Amino acid sequence: MKIGSTLNDGKATDRINDEIRRRNSDPRGIIFRTFLQLGLFLALLILTVLLVDVVQNGWGTLSTRFGDFLSGTLRSRSIDEKLGVHQGLVGSFWIAVTTAIVAFPIGIGAAIYLEEYAPKNRLTRFIEINIRNLAGVPSVVYGLLGLFIFVNTFGKWTGGKSLLSAALTLSILVLPIVIITASEAIRATPQSLREGAYGVGATRWEVVRRQVLPYAAPGILTGTLLAMSRAIGEAAPLILVGAVTGRLGTNPGFLDLGALKERFVAMPIVITEWTQNSGRDPGFAGAAAAAIVVLLVFVLALNSIAILLRNRFEKRRK
Amino acid sequence: MSGTVTIEDLQTAPRRVRKERNAKFLLLFTALISVVISIVLVFSLFSEAWDFIVGIDWASTWSEGWYPRRGLYDVKTLFVATLITTGIAMAVAGPIGLAAAIYLSEYASSRTRAFIKPVLEILAGVPSVVLGFFALFFIAPEIIGRLNEDASAGSLAAAGVGVGLLTIPLVASVSEDAMKAVPLDLREAGAGLGARKSVISSRVVFPAAISGIVASFIVATSRAIGETMVVFIAGGAADSAGYTHSAFEGSLTMTAAMASLASGTDQVKGEGLTFQSLFFVGLLLFAITFMLNMVADRFVRRVQERY
Amino acid sequence: MKRRLINLFALLACTAVVFGCSSSEDSSSSSSETASASASASASASESVEEVESLEGTVEISGSSTVEPVSVRVAELFEDVAPGVAVNVDGPGTGDGFELFCNGETDISGASRAIKDAEAEACAATGVEYIELQVGIDGIGVMTNANNDAVDCVSKGDLYALVGPESTGFDSWSDANDLAVELGGTGGFPDAPLDIFGPGAESGTFDSFNEMTFKSIAKSRDQESREARPDYVSSGDDNVILTGIQGSDTSLGWVGFAFAANAADVKLLEMDGGDGCVAPTPATIASGEYPLSRPLFIYVNPAKLADNPALEAYVDFFMTEVSLQDAVTEVGYVPLAAAEMAATQNTWSSR
Repeated sequence: MKIGSTLNDGKATDRINDEIRRRNSDPRGIIFRTFLQLGLFLALLILTVLLVDVVQNGWGTLSTRFGDFLSGTLRSRSIDEKLGVHQGLVGSFWIAVTTAIVAFPIGIGAAIYLEEYAPKNRLTRFIEINIRNLAGVPSVVYGLLGLFIFVNTFGKWTGGKSLLSAALTLSILVLPIVIITASEAIRATPQSLREGAYGVGATRWEVVRRQVLPYAAPGILTGTLLAMSRAIGEAAPLILVGAVTGRLGTNPGFLDLGALKERFVAMPIVITEWTQNSGRDPGFAGAAAAAIVVLLVFVLALNSIAILLRNRFEKRRK
Repeated sequence: MSGTVTIEDLQTAPRRVRKERNAKFLLLFTALISVVISIVLVFSLFSEAWDFIVGIDWASTWSEGWYPRRGLYDVKTLFVATLITTGIAMAVAGPIGLAAAIYLSEYASSRTRAFIKPVLEILAGVPSVVLGFFALFFIAPEIIGRLNEDASAGSLAAAGVGVGLLTIPLVASVSEDAMKAVPLDLREAGAGLGARKSVISSRVVFPAAISGIVASFIVATSRAIGETMVVFIAGGAADSAGYTHSAFEGSLTMTAAMASLASGTDQVKGEGLTFQSLFFVGLLLFAITFMLNMVADRFVRRVQERY
Repeated sequence: MKRRLINLFALLACTAVVFGCSSSEDSSSSSSETASASASASASASESVEEVESLEGTVEISGSSTVEPVSVRVAELFEDVAPGVAVNVDGPGTGDGFELFCNGETDISGASRAIKDAEAEACAATGVEYIELQVGIDGIGVMTNANNDAVDCVSKGDLYALVGPESTGFDSWSDANDLAVELGGTGGFPDAPLDIFGPGAESGTFDSFNEMTFKSIAKSRDQESREARPDYVSSGDDNVILTGIQGSDTSLGWVGFAFAANAADVKLLEMDGGDGCVAPTPATIASGEYPLSRPLFIYVNPAKLADNPALEAYVDFFMTEVSLQDAVTEVGYVPLAAAEMAATQNTWSSR
């Protein structure tokens, strides 16, 4: 109002011109912007410090005995030359494979149903809300579910406190993530693709199979890779379904299916255990850091591939 | 009559119809699995927690600390520790995450975004055990130890900062989505009135996106409450903890109490209901995060409806 | 085959006596050489070695976190002899361990105290029998942070005043002074925060500590509870307790001596059992001069022996000198005296 009433005043025009010119030297704006940059800078700094700190701690182990560390097992003393993460890697490998086999088909199927088939009714809405809630349930609670169902109720088939129980628990944990990301990818498919196919008489399934899924595939893959990296980084549910925290006698190979029904550890459990052992035997801190570096390589590789994939996908669409 | 198109010809072949029907049922089945999971989840929590609720002497849930092996289940200890940890986490993640979101949404060039966003996503992908290690061996001695010399080696403060770092990306991405959803018109209208960029960001975009920003805070709070490993490793307590409201002491959050109680065995021995207390705390945790997520969901929906 | 195995291990034990035992005092790392020496010695011994070498199976061990390092070390040495046998060891605590053992879920349960009547009844109810084998001695180390100069030596009366059943709610060391003096202790503790870390009720160390420090005093004072105060930070995992003690300058805690002996930043306190202050050392613990020493056990489920030759071979190996002498010493515990060791070996061979 004020501006309007004084616009004809020459002074006001000058002032506005001044303001526009001064935009670059606006002190409050600069402070605000600096504050924002500081926030971002802090986030980056933290990530850098974290990586440097961990690599620094683990470097002793990684640089001197990297091969032995990868092939070694859980040992009672940090100076043991057989100390290593092989059992943890095998556990995490099978967890990743199982989530891929169990969670992905179910998750993608559910996403297709919700996006392509589901009528807009109460049941559909209920399922959708339910999935969003499941995604927000703390991971440790999934551990209780796994303990109750896979370890105790179906212990006969899963082998009780076994790698299979753990992997199934984590499959359930990542299922909502798979469904949500897959739904987003499917929703992003242009309507024209579907209409074109319907126009030539395709059934709904044929439309999904030939048009929607190929188009949404990179997006779905991105989501599944992120879910996989989440699964191999989780520790809390594994503690509840009985990961070994002392000595694990077995050291199966990567492709040994029998390992599924045996007691297990996984990389995050190895890290937790060694971190706690460092009170008694300080050398374990270095071993834990080295194990973290190994885990991070896998997790960050999965994440980076997922991010790259999605960025290319988005670019292609534009 | 040859050459005439009949109704039969226009109908889809029976084989294709059957395939279509099978696909539909199979897909419906996969969608219903998530419902089954929820039912089983609630059932498994209740099955054991019920014994606790029925069998417990309620006086023991309000005593001087959480000593589940000794029949003292002071829920207040866990609540206060959870509040402290979550509060510190949000004090870290809120400002940093929000600043990052505003910068990314309003200021950053597309080149900066292309660099920063993946970095934030990588931070989001760091497993929580890693943050636990970092909190115990770096944050506790280098940051918390300098703030307060009497702080114990592992403390709620150290764990809280660790959890905060873990939730920065969550705040940043949900807030940024909300601000991006604010129509360009509003910004242009602001600019047309001669507002500076900082004013547009803080007085136009921020209020317009407030529901989404609130949602991001609630989701992050819920995530922080549910975070386990950071507190388990760096929280400075073990299976039990005395009541404390000092952030510089060690204590147990609800999640850490569960993880340490179940460490190494599912045959927890104690004063009768020790094992069941695990499920009771799990049920409380589930209820709290469930409510927070519902509220957050409502806020997110409000953003979607408005724009 | 059983007989042959026993002969083999007797032979092993002898070689260990000749090559290993004499050197076991000078360093702990020598025993791994001993193990490989005895393994290679056994390789030339007889064909039954191949039977052990080719054995396959799993041995599940749970129980005391105090005994866990012994079982693990023995398992690590056993791995060189019988690479096909998987020995899993967990250490949730003596009490939790017996829960699993009496449910038939584990083959061996480590215990840092003898089985309780209630636990024996639970085992009987499920039809699980047990063979009790004493495998070593451990002192309970009472300790504080290395930066704490205020205390060096405590009596049982002091401990009763600081962490006994009547100390519930004491936040400061000085809160315990009156009671300590009343019980004939030294008292004179400073007004500093009393941060207590110790084993939880699932731990055998908890029971032994109660038994040895509080029981008689609590009895004479007509106290209903003869256990440590409930309000301290507890864990079944000794590592966690140590981390807690290291984290506070005015901490007080107790764990198995072996865990405490090598830890940084903690100070082991001397104990006054009435004849002056005694520092915990392997010698004073073995002689019983140090007032807080207790036996360590493993409990074996005999029913599982029949269908699991791997279990038998593992316990056989546990009963050799390589394990009972060297492995026990190596992880910081005190081995049994010759007569007791022979008694344990006899219990096993004559089962």
